[in-house]
Amino acid sequence: MSNLYLIDQSIGGNALALAAGDSDAVVVLVQDGVYLDVSQLGKAGRPVYAIKRDIERRGLEKRVPGEVKRIGFDDLVDLIIENKVVNFA
Amino acid sequence: MAQRHILFTFNRAPYGSVYYTEGLRAAVGVTSGIDEHTVDLLYLGDGVNFALKDVDRTDSLKYLVTLANLGTKLKVEKESLDERCINEADLAGDVEVIRRADALDLVRRADLTIDF
Repeated sequence: MSNLYLIDQSIGGNALALAAGDSDAVVVLVQDGVYLDVSQLGKAGRPVYAIKRDIERRGLEKRVPGEVKRIGFDDLVDLIIENKVVNFA
Repeated sequence: MAQRHILFTFNRAPYGSVYYTEGLRAAVGVTSGIDEHTVDLLYLGDGVNFALKDVDRTDSLKYLVTLANLGTKLKVEKESLDERCINEADLAGDVEVIRRADALDLVRRADLTIDF
């Protein structure tokens, strides 16, 4: 079981700072969280996901790095069930 | 339902929103009832401004007193203080400054983390 950081933009910086130091972190960007720069997390090998619909609605498909795995809400539910939620959304 | 340990994070500056008081109210709430969950309180980012000693606590005092009676200490992340050039001398006497690594330990120990 990993620590699943659910991150929206408004307080996302606080969450990213914690997740960067957490070797068990799995990150999911939701809503305006898809605007966040998560390149450091990717370099640190942390899995980063984002809600596909949230990316599409904001016209960010070409701007969100390919390393950020796009997922649907059904996938998000699976992640929430499988992991411990650290909510910043 | 069994007893859980819950970490409450406070991420926004006091005033201008209900987050800082509603979070404390929620923390008091989960310590009540049959399960009597245990809590940690952690101030991060702009939330650390609540720890300044001159902040008016009129709206939050009753929650803070209840939580203090339960032995809960307000913890403030040092890195967030440093980023805002806040000295520990400027903080209220009932807060404990901890490093980010220790904040992460709070996340690890908690069954659930809730943000306000």
